[in-house]
Amino acid sequence: MSAVALLLVVPLVAGFVSLGLRHARLLHGINLATMLLLNGALAAVMSRVLREGTIQAFHNLILIDALSSFILLIIAVIGLVSSLYTWSYFEHYRTQGDVTPARMSRYFFLFHMFMFAMILATVANSLGVLWVAIEATTLATTFLINFFKRKTSLEAGWKYLILCSVGITLALFWTVLMYMSSVRAAGGIDATLNLSDLMGIAAQLDPHVVKLAFVFILVGYGAKIGLVPMHAWVPEAYSEAPAPVVAMLAGVLETVAVYAVLRSKMVVDAAVSPGYAGNLLIVFGFMSFGVAALFILVQRDYKRLFAYSSIEHMGIAVIGFGIGGAMGTFGALFHLLNHALAKSLAFFAAGHVQIRFGTREIGEVRGLFKVQPLTAAALLTAALALVGMPPLSMAVSEFSVLTSFTKQVYASDTVHIGRFMTVTVADEVRNLGLIVCFLGMAVVVFGGFMVRVVGMVWGDPPDRLKRGETWGLGQVAFVVSMGALIVLGVMMPDSLKKLMDLSVTTITMR
Amino acid sequence: MVIHPDLGSQLVNLCSALLLLTCFAIIAQRRLSACVDLFALQSVFLAVTAALVAFLTGAHHIYIAAALTVVIKVIILPRILKAVIERLNVKRELVLNINIPSSLLICGALVILAFYITQPIISLGFLLTQDSLAIALSIVLIGFFIMIARKKAVTQVIGFLVIENGLFLGATAAAYGMPLIVELGVFFDILVAGLIIGVYTHRLQDTFDSVDTSKLTGLKE
Repeated sequence: MSAVALLLVVPLVAGFVSLGLRHARLLHGINLATMLLLNGALAAVMSRVLREGTIQAFHNLILIDALSSFILLIIAVIGLVSSLYTWSYFEHYRTQGDVTPARMSRYFFLFHMFMFAMILATVANSLGVLWVAIEATTLATTFLINFFKRKTSLEAGWKYLILCSVGITLALFWTVLMYMSSVRAAGGIDATLNLSDLMGIAAQLDPHVVKLAFVFILVGYGAKIGLVPMHAWVPEAYSEAPAPVVAMLAGVLETVAVYAVLRSKMVVDAAVSPGYAGNLLIVFGFMSFGVAALFILVQRDYKRLFAYSSIEHMGIAVIGFGIGGAMGTFGALFHLLNHALAKSLAFFAAGHVQIRFGTREIGEVRGLFKVQPLTAAALLTAALALVGMPPLSMAVSEFSVLTSFTKQVYASDTVHIGRFMTVTVADEVRNLGLIVCFLGMAVVVFGGFMVRVVGMVWGDPPDRLKRGETWGLGQVAFVVSMGALIVLGVMMPDSLKKLMDLSVTTITMR
Repeated sequence: MVIHPDLGSQLVNLCSALLLLTCFAIIAQRRLSACVDLFALQSVFLAVTAALVAFLTGAHHIYIAAALTVVIKVIILPRILKAVIERLNVKRELVLNINIPSSLLICGALVILAFYITQPIISLGFLLTQDSLAIALSIVLIGFFIMIARKKAVTQVIGFLVIENGLFLGATAAAYGMPLIVELGVFFDILVAGLIIGVYTHRLQDTFDSVDTSKLTGLKE
């Protein structure tokens, strides 16, 4: 079987097999094996993309180019570390007797369906299938968020389901409009929603339709990314869901939603002037960055703190894609990878802290270094990465996004804010203003974040707590993620560099 | 049998208008089970529209969409919703955030807004029916309004399904239906969403002893 087919079949099969099993260790084992197999299949697919370029398979239903394989890489790697962590995490709840084997088997079923939907979204050629897959991720994860069946997690799951489902139906409206326009351009009912076809006829698409469509798509998938003002579900879902699930939601699902926006941005850019979609992205990105920075300042709950930091970093990535150009796009892509690594690490550490301290209040967690040294190191590394501290890799990507402001000069010098307001400013003044804003918000985040995390890791812990790590596979996940963040900050492997360069070329179409 | 093209587009317009009319009926309705019936009726109109478009354009795959609409939206989903209502015993009056007369006025304004937004597209005049896209957007907006203005979890579900109906009308009447694989996927998603929301309303009832979503206030800053 080809590697492409394996990518889709493996999680599907693993999901249904898990549904029939009741043995916890076996379930975990199958999960790990699945992730290893996925990583293997991905390596094969990636090397083929690097060698031969875009892969199209199964009657053009599947399209894998450099960009898809880069997103697949994030899905597979974070999937693997999450699975390592899952083993330690649920070991605790299993020994406590909180989680029955039947619920474990349902958990893994949903988890594999979630993986399947994300992979399908990334490899689908049709924008319609992309939509279907993203909606499927919502349906698969809502019960994962509600896994512990607390009153609050029920509430979080319901809000997540309603907000994301409704938000995403807006994006479906966009798909409809785009299809309508393509029906006209292709002249009849032979039109498809396939990316490979749409890019070819993009210049003939109707600009009115495409512009209207992009507003809907940004609001729709934006809800899934967690952009302000559609972010209400993010802190609630992230604070209620089990840690490995949050790591996947924050690290991977948001990335896949950004991918959906990127794909449509490519079509829109080809159909109308490139500034249009970019400016909308910049506005939403700055809004998310700013609002998240303010909320980070007032957080008392460390899981919510990390949730708002997710909104902030998605804002930064979206700004990078909005500015565009080789620099901005590269920075934003790299930021997606770094954010996935750092944020999953942060939530893994947070999960261990919550198990040991039994609280989500930042004020009640002290002296983590004396209680769980490795967890404390992981938490600190993740926090340092998230505030953009060199030499961790996130500093590199954040700096690239910031630098791209100066590199990119638009053909038009107007900023469209919404539909009704148009501000005309000189490029230099605008760029300078944006850079100052960006740096100001970054400083606010730095202060708010470090004060809290430093308070958690140093000091003397409460006496009642057991000292020492509970060793397990979770610690392997810590070490892997920490290592990746440090290594990527100093050097980048050649194949990754090449893959990202190719992705940048795909997005900017140069 | 050959239908004159003008007559055909008039018929599609008529059906689209009937869909919009049922939206207003849902807004004006105070009883929950009647809302579900009206949603089923709306889905019947949607299926008829789809079949009509399939007949007029010769795009046979739209017949499949029409059949699926009947099975899922006219039969299965209303049954699930009725069962939920039966079990929860919430047949009594709806809890309204906004009273009925002002709701109707707001929805009227939403229809005007939808026509205004889609004007530049409609005037291009390449569609089978020119107004169906505007009507589809109106239905989507009214669906959103239902979700905001009505408090019960079940009514929010009806709002969600009304939005989906609007989108489907847009897809069939304005773009001759989506590619078959997309349509099948969308139906699958809607069906699963319906089932999941059904499970949720049970759990909400058990946990909060109410399906009034305004009681979901445990999570705050």
